[in-house]
This record gives sequence, structure tokens and C-alpha cells, in this order.
Amino acid sequence: MTNIVVEEPQQASAAAALPRRRRWRHPRYYVTVAAFLAPSAIPLLLLVYYPMVQAMWTSLHDWNLIGPKKWVGIANYEVLLTDFGTARIFWHSAQYIIGYIPLVFVGGLAVALALNTALKGRNFFRGVYFLPVVTSWIAVSLVWKWLLNPHSGAVNTVLGWFGIEGPGWYIDPHWAMPSIVVASVWKDVGFVMVILLAGLQAIPAEIEEAAILDGAGWWRRLISVTLPLLSPTTFFVLIISLIGGFQVFDQAYAMTAGGPNDATRTVVLEIYDLTFRYGQAGMASALSMLLFVVILAFTAIQLVGQRRWVHYA
Amino acid sequence: MKHSRLLQIGVITAIAGLVAGCSSTTDDASSGPDDSAAAAPVTVTYSNFISNGGNEDNLDKIVAAFEKENPNITVEVTTLPYSDYFTALQTDLVAGTQADVFDIEFANYRSYVESGVAAPIQGVDTSKYRKALADSYATDGVQYALPTSFSTVVLYFNKDLFDAAGVDYPTADWTWEDENAAAAKITDKGNDIWGDYQPFTYNEYYKTVAQAGGSFLSADGSQATFNSPEGIQAAKFLVDKVGNTMPAAGDASTDSDADLFSTGHLAMWHTGIWMFNSMQEVPFNWDIVVEPGLTQQASHLFSNAVMVSANSKEIEAATKWADFLTSSPAMVEARLASSWELPPVADDAALSAYLTQGLPENRQAVFESLDGVAIAPSIGANQAQMADIVTKYLGEAAAGRMTVEEAVKKSSDEVQPLLPSK
Amino acid sequence: MPDLRMSGARTRTPQPGDEVQKEHSGRVGRVILIMAVSLGAVMMFFPFLWTVITSFSSGLGLSAKPSLIPQQPSLDAYRILFLDLPFARIIANSLAIALVVTFAQVLTSALAAYVFTRMPFKGRGVIFALYLATMMIPGQVLLVPQFVIMKDLGLIDNYLGVLLPSIATAFGVFLLKQGMDAVPRDLDEAAKLDGASHFQTFLRIVLPNTGPSIATLSIFAFMGSWNNFLWPLVILRSEEKQTLPLALAGLQGQYTTNWDVMMAGSVISILPMLAIYIFAQKYVVRGIASTGIK
Repeated sequence: MTNIVVEEPQQASAAAALPRRRRWRHPRYYVTVAAFLAPSAIPLLLLVYYPMVQAMWTSLHDWNLIGPKKWVGIANYEVLLTDFGTARIFWHSAQYIIGYIPLVFVGGLAVALALNTALKGRNFFRGVYFLPVVTSWIAVSLVWKWLLNPHSGAVNTVLGWFGIEGPGWYIDPHWAMPSIVVASVWKDVGFVMVILLAGLQAIPAEIEEAAILDGAGWWRRLISVTLPLLSPTTFFVLIISLIGGFQVFDQAYAMTAGGPNDATRTVVLEIYDLTFRYGQAGMASALSMLLFVVILAFTAIQLVGQRRWVHYA
Repeated sequence: MKHSRLLQIGVITAIAGLVAGCSSTTDDASSGPDDSAAAAPVTVTYSNFISNGGNEDNLDKIVAAFEKENPNITVEVTTLPYSDYFTALQTDLVAGTQADVFDIEFANYRSYVESGVAAPIQGVDTSKYRKALADSYATDGVQYALPTSFSTVVLYFNKDLFDAAGVDYPTADWTWEDENAAAAKITDKGNDIWGDYQPFTYNEYYKTVAQAGGSFLSADGSQATFNSPEGIQAAKFLVDKVGNTMPAAGDASTDSDADLFSTGHLAMWHTGIWMFNSMQEVPFNWDIVVEPGLTQQASHLFSNAVMVSANSKEIEAATKWADFLTSSPAMVEARLASSWELPPVADDAALSAYLTQGLPENRQAVFESLDGVAIAPSIGANQAQMADIVTKYLGEAAAGRMTVEEAVKKSSDEVQPLLPSK
Repeated sequence: MPDLRMSGARTRTPQPGDEVQKEHSGRVGRVILIMAVSLGAVMMFFPFLWTVITSFSSGLGLSAKPSLIPQQPSLDAYRILFLDLPFARIIANSLAIALVVTFAQVLTSALAAYVFTRMPFKGRGVIFALYLATMMIPGQVLLVPQFVIMKDLGLIDNYLGVLLPSIATAFGVFLLKQGMDAVPRDLDEAAKLDGASHFQTFLRIVLPNTGPSIATLSIFAFMGSWNNFLWPLVILRSEEKQTLPLALAGLQGQYTTNWDVMMAGSVISILPMLAIYIFAQKYVVRGIASTGIK
């Protein structure tokens, strides 16, 4: 963890000098740690980890929810890992992430930077950009299907002005996932903006001012000062977007219901259908275990890699 | 003295026995542990989706009438939207918190019975229901659910559009060819006028296969038999319309068929009788007719039902409520007065009020459509998966990404392993 | 000593010499900026505008081409919402639950975040990863087991049952940890020299300087609870405990969609959240900051 690098540089060098293992702490320290962690750890243990263990147990069974569970061992996993369809739904979730994360981050960053300056009406704009975030997916999906209507929608009409023939969007299997990505980016730019704004505001003003006095233009400042100091927040946005992106469900459910031709069938959509519509809760649990492992792997890579590019104060 | 005392005891015992005997024969549910407890207040919980979206008051009326007749029973109603109802129900079934009486639909009847969550319905005379309905909710001679309502699918048509194109109105003798011809004549894509709309989904498909003289599954339900000339013909009928006389997604001013019809842009519309209420105020003349078949008429018979929970602590009272909900005159009246689907009762005379409840005029067609019914395939746990597969491939054919023959073959290949082997 | 109060407004003390800087990048840059931001704002706002317009329309065929003028303008949709539903009760339910959840999440997350940022110990990274791992299981999978737990605790159809799964969140812990990491440690050291305990450092030093992050968490916690649908759906039974998303879903028919009512419901759902957003941006930050010692 980075805290080792930042927090205890003396310890590191001290450790190099003396054969001391770790710093001794009074037992009361650990009691304090436990007390601070308990209010969140206990609910999480009871209401997330315990159900997770149950889901693991369920994954070894065949279960339609309403009858008894039937032991099948690792049969569910065998089916999932040998069926090409499994790779395909993971690929769909991956497609979403590959499209969504860069776009929503760049968009959110641009807006956050713009609205962090002394711009007139800045608070108004912050409110407007946040509107889509608080709008429900039912309303958003209707509106976006209007916009992306291949024949009469605003998007294709505008493209037509530039002589581009717009694609079939949510009707075309190749464009359905991009449609969902576009709608999701639109909806979440405000979310990213809010988080990045909080991060930008934590950057002490004098550092920016010092850079300006040094004659750095805005691009230079951005690259050398702002972004590095913003990196903890950027890291946060990346991890959250990754974890959330792999679990994309609401928009795939509301806009395309997994279609057309299963082109937008994401992992969680499949899990939901398996559990509540196809009576295969055991298979669904096994699939969610696979998903968990995948997300964990990606997150672990990020956590380990943060040392390279995340600067903590 | 002793002698007369014995006589007194004997007489009293005899009278007591007679009284007990009388009251048990007037019980109309399976006799509970003690009849005297029938007077103790009892609460029956009922979870439903059938009243959601406008009929909550009607359900309240039925509940009030029931509670009046059974002063010791209180019915607690929970109403959920259809799209979320089964998620909640299944969650309840896992935890054992399901209501005493709960709604189901035909599609999941079989898997619920096989999982043992339904209590056999005892003490209810099922001959008062329409035979087709009562039978579809019985397994091996045991009644596991009672039908609450039924509905059918008919052909709606916009009289004004027919007049404008100079085409004769559809009649009960029409066939697919007549329908296609009329649709072709009326369709005017440039003006957003469409001749026909029929969803290319599993539900429509198994029906049109029957209309073409074929069958979706074999008689014992173990073989997929729709990859046949009739099955392909039916698929072609559904798919060829799309993009020609029927708008593909994005073609028309709206993707909603209901909105397309209600704004006067659609000449013929295959949909259920549940839409009657929404179409009362449309700005044009319309009516209905039995759906045209090809070699025979076959219509949908959709129904909902209620089950009594096998874990219920109040099976007697719950059964009484289920009985009342599905057959009482109060229910018939409430339903007919508001066109809230059709009561499942066998007595057609009781339904005569339905014929004069407002538009459409030709409500008789609803009953005519029951003359030929396409049996809905019921395969248990894999029902939803089967439906999704067929709908998906028909959609691919409709979008032109697959030929009809391919779509039918693929559906058949993927559905076959889902069928229970006999 | 630099003023490190983390307020919402970025103040910049003018220095001689940078007036020139302002002139250059000033005009043109500013105009382009405003135009770009406005264009983006229009794209953000337009769909919401449609939502509002549709909510004031009536009649059939509302899902057809959207227009900027209400077709057959009417207040029917709102009338249905306000009169046919026990509206005040529903809003009160949703509001009460959301406020409690927000408060609880901020509290539990802040306490845990403090450990991860200021209290090192062996294995802390593993525990942090375990916290993060709780976000990697989809809610749909947790739904049924959580429901059974609530039933065993006797919390079905109980406000507490609705709340419990939401009082702790790894998202909040992570967010606040990042925010607290940015609070300079010199302040901590100063407090420690004065003999402050961890709890006092937490309360008086670190927490007050995490205002923006706490405001952000408040907004998201409130939003999450306000919009929560699936969990209240399975756990609540009584009508008088209904929350807003449940009530709105209940208005949708099995076969028909009343777009005007749905959009009106959306609008009504959005307004309180916008209010919380504005409130949090202004007051939460200021309020949190004022509890601290600089």
C-alpha cells in the first residue's frame, strides 16, 4: 500500500539500518482501529460477506429459488467455462467499459476544470450538468431512444447535415452497445464532474498560483500540476468506473433488454435473467463468482499499479 | 333418578352430535382442526399484480364484498406492478414469507406446482369455471390453482383508414391472404400510415403455427415440431410484414404499437382485449374481429390464476378467498362494469353485460375467438428461456439478418434440449 | 500559514504581474469556454426539458415524436400523482429513509476512511481490499440472501429492514479516504504534539478539512437511497410504508404506459435531489469546515 511509502519513510530507512521488524504499537491502538472500523465492517460482514458466502454455496447447486436446492458440485462452473456464450457476455461488459470509461472521464474532467474556474453562472452550470445523474433510467432511456431513432432522431438528423449517414443505433447489433455507452456517458458526466471537482478544490490554490507565476500556460499547468495532484481522485474514479462498469445492468435492461440478438447482453443482465426468469439461481451464482474474480483481478492490478502514477500529498 | 339422568345425558350428547354434524356439512372448505375456530378472526394475505395500474378500486370492492360475507376474515392485499411481481414473489418463496394467496400466470403454473409451493385446492366446485381454464390449472386430476380472469387476442381495425383506402372491413372469414392484401393497399409509408401490426414474438408464433395447421410442440410436449412447412409459413407471415406493412423499430413516428394505433396511424392491430379501455377516446372509428387464420382459426387464451400457498397457516380461509375472488357474483360485476378482463366463469349468460360495455361494438368476437384456441405450450422451468430463444430468432429474421428458414431451424435446435423428456 | 480552508469557492489573491497573464488568455479563451460549456449544458438539459414538457402533456401517443410544446397541455399527470397517491406520506417515507441513510453512510465511512488514511498497521491493505471487494458482487445476487437474513431478524416490512443494507458502503469509505489523503499531515502532527487522541484528530482536524468529499458522499448516498427500487420492493409490504419509486412503478399498467404520469413522476423525483445537491454544495462544505480547528 502506498501508505508505507508516504507515511513511514523514516521507518523504511530505519529498517534498513536496524534489524527491526515492525513498529510496536500499544494494544489500545488496535482497539481504536477496530472501533473505527466496526460501524462499517459489521454491517458489511453481515449483509455482504455472509450473503456472498451463501452465493458461493448456492453456486454448487441447481436451484430455481422456489424449490429445494440440488447439489451439482462444480457442474455449473464446467458449463460456464466451456460455453462460448460466457466469454461473449463478458466481452459485452468489457466493450461497455472500453467505450465508457475514457469518454466519461475526459468529459467529466473537461467540465470539472471548466467549472472550477471563476466562470459566470458556474453554480448554475454545475446544477445543469448534474441533472442527468439524478434522472431515472426509465426517463433517460425513453429520451435517448428518441434521440437515437435511426430515421427521425436528432442525432442522425444532425449527422445528416454533415453528410454522414447515421447508423441504426439501438436497433443495429453493432451499434447497440455504443448507443448504451453514449447514453451512459451523457448521464454520468455530471457524476464524474462532481467527484473531480471535490478533488480539484482540494488542490491548494497557491500551488496553481505559483505555477502561473512561473509562466506556465494552462496546458502545461494541467499536465504538470493539476493532473498529478488530482491523481488520487482520478484513481478513485477509475476504480469505481471499472467496478461499476463490469456490473452494468440498468441501462442495458431499460434501453435494449439485452438485444438486439443479445448484442448488449451484459453479465449482470444474464445473472438477473438466470435467477429470476430462467429458474437457474445456482448457475447465476456461479457466474457472479466468475464476475467477482474478474473484477477483483482488474482492481488488484490497479491497486498495485497506483504506485507508479498516483501522487499522494 | 339415575335412569333419567342417563337419558338426559344421552339426549344432550345426541343433540350435540347432530349439531356438530350439521355444521361440518355446511363447511365449504376442507374441515379445519376445530370448527369453533371459524369464528375467531383470521387474516389472509393476498399478493397480486392483476389489479395494478387502474383496477385497485375494483379489487377493493371485491375484498369488501368478501369481508361482508365472512366477517371473521380480513384480507390484506399487496399489489405490485407486473414487471416486478415475480421477482418479489420468488424472493418471498425462498424466505417463506409469501402471501397465503398469490397471483400466478399460466406460464409459470407448471414449475410452481413441480416445486411444491401450491396447496391443492380442496372443497371448490371447479365446474363453475370455463372448462379450458379450470383444466389448464389442474395436474393429474388435482386442482392447484384457480383462474382469476382470461383474455384473448383479437384483430383491431381502424374503420376510417379502411374507408379512405376503399377496402372492405375484415370479417370473421378472412384468411392471412385477405389480411396481407388489405394491409398492402392501405400502407402509405410516406405518410406514416401502416397497414398491420403483429409482434413477432414467441406468443404470436405458437399461435400462428396453429393457424397454419401445424403445432409448436408434439402432443406429449417432448418434441419441438415447429420446424415444419407450417411453422415456416407462420414465421414468414409474421416476418414478411416487418418493413413492408408493419413498421420496423424506428420506421414509424413511434415504436409503441398502442400509440401508433391510438393516433390513427395503424389500420390493423393484433393485440389483446385488455386494450379496450385505453382506446375508448380515440379520434376515429374502430372495431374488432376474430383474427384471421390460414387453414384454421386459432386464438390465444391468456389467463391469470391464484394459488394457495402450501405453507399457509390459514389454508381454509385462504381457499375461501381464492374461491370468492375467482367466482363470486361480486367479482363478475366488478370486472364487467370496468372491462377489467373477463371473469373465468363458465356461464356465458353471466357475461352478457360485457357485450354492451362500450367500444368496440363487435365484442361478440371475443367469445367467437374462443371457438378455436391455440394450446399454449407449457414445459415447466425452461418456459421463459424457450420464449426468449424464439423471440430472438424471429427478431433476427425480421431485421433481415437471417432467413426465416434459418431462424426457425435455429430456434428448434435450441428449444429441443429445453423440453422435458417423456 | 496558508489558508487551507476547503471552501467551494476558489479564491485567488491577485499578485502584481499576473494582470498581463489574465489579459492574454482572458478574452478569447473565456468566450470559447463559455460557449463550450453552454453547448454541453444544453445537451444535458434538453432531455430533461422533454421530460418536463411530456409531464404537462396529455392524451395518447406521447411516445411519438417529442415536441417542445406540450401537446394537449394538462395537469392530469400531476393530479393523478398528488391526488390518487398518499403523496405526502410517500415523500415523507422516502425522505426520512434517505436522510438516515445519508447520515449513517457518512458517519460509518468517515470513521473507516480515517483508519485507511491515518492508522497504519500490518494487513491494512488487505482489509482495504476486502472493503473494496464488497462492491464487486452485483446487488441482484445479494438480494435473496439479504432478504432471508432480514426475515430471520424479523425486519420484513420494517423501515430498519430497508435501511440496514445501506448504512455501510465501501464506496463511501474509498471516497472519503481519497479526500482525507489530501489533508496535509502537518496538521495531524501539530495536534498530536498537543496531545490529541486519534479520535480528536479525526473529529477536529481531518474531518473538517474533508468537506467537499463529504458533501459529495452525502449527495450520492441520498441519491442511492432515494432512487432505490428493488430492495424496498421486496422488503416492504404495507401501503403506508411505500417509498416514491415503488409508488411510481405502481402507477404503470401491465400493458399500457402512461408516459405523462411516468415523466411527472420523474420530475417529482428529481426535484428533491437537485435541492440536496445545491444544499450540499453550499452548506455541507461550509458546515463541516466550521466544526474544525484551523
